[in-house]
Amino acid sequence: MSTFELYRRSTIGMCLTETLDEMVSNGTLNPELAIQVLVQFDKSMTEALENQVKSKVSIKETKWVGEKAKGHLHTYRFCDNVWTFILRDATFKNEECQENVGRVKIVACDSKLLAQS
Amino acid sequence: MADQGLEGSQPVDLSKHPSGIIPTLQNIVSTVNLDCKLDLKAIALQARNAEYNPKRFAAVIMRIREPKTTALIFASGKMVCTGAKSEIQSKLAARKYARIIQKLGFAAKFKDFKIQNIVGSCDVKFPIRLEGLAYSHGAFSSYEPELFPGLIYRMKQPKIVLLIFVSGKIVLTGAKVREETYTAFENIYPVLTEFRKTQQW
Repeated sequence: MSTFELYRRSTIGMCLTETLDEMVSNGTLNPELAIQVLVQFDKSMTEALENQVKSKVSIKETKWVGEKAKGHLHTYRFCDNVWTFILRDATFKNEECQENVGRVKIVACDSKLLAQS
Repeated sequence: MADQGLEGSQPVDLSKHPSGIIPTLQNIVSTVNLDCKLDLKAIALQARNAEYNPKRFAAVIMRIREPKTTALIFASGKMVCTGAKSEIQSKLAARKYARIIQKLGFAAKFKDFKIQNIVGSCDVKFPIRLEGLAYSHGAFSSYEPELFPGLIYRMKQPKIVLLIFVSGKIVLTGAKVREETYTAFENIYPVLTEFRKTQQW
């Protein structure tokens, strides 16, 4: 099964990549093995998000009183089967808490495409 | 509706609009030739608010907020601009899209801009007997309520298609200039009053 590499750009993915880089450059890990680890990371992330994450988050535009800072979809893009959304003044909400975020970038791929390839 | 509000603030020129009603323009479709080959993928990747899915449609779909419109941009350099509410706005929007393409590094020009279609609508505010209208104007009318609830009236002069609904709401399409829309409405208005539905209960 092939996987998306998009989770490599997450904090955890970046940390893993950095560590692997360091290990490769000081000779404690061979490069092929490092690549294998990254591929496994892609798979594990996809699987974990699919099967283990049950919490739900809703993202909404922040509505403030008055005309100032009304949140909205600032930019969208669809290219190479990837959707990119940039939101301004969004509100993230789950069961426990709510948080306002000034700028949000959402990158979304169609998981159905993985099954085909 | 907005058009009725407009009439209140500004008196209607009855020499141009004897019915006292001015159809509101709802959508303008225009085309222009940017006259240069375009790399659609590069455009989709660099421009904002763009969609490009060559498997489904061979053009970049781009939107701007002011004037609120959508453009279809083809690799040949031809572009279609839809959604504007007036001819001027349609041209302004098309210019903005051309400017975006230029800013991405293409030698886009602005050739052969043309308004291709104007859609207008209005409300005569009385119900209409569509069967009667269809019967007496059989040559122009198509009324198949099982297929579509409106009567389709293909006017010959000017060449405009009208959708006439029982409610008295009218849609006029096919015009290249707004005067055709206005003329078509003034032509049909006496017919509509003739087939005005009188409430029997």
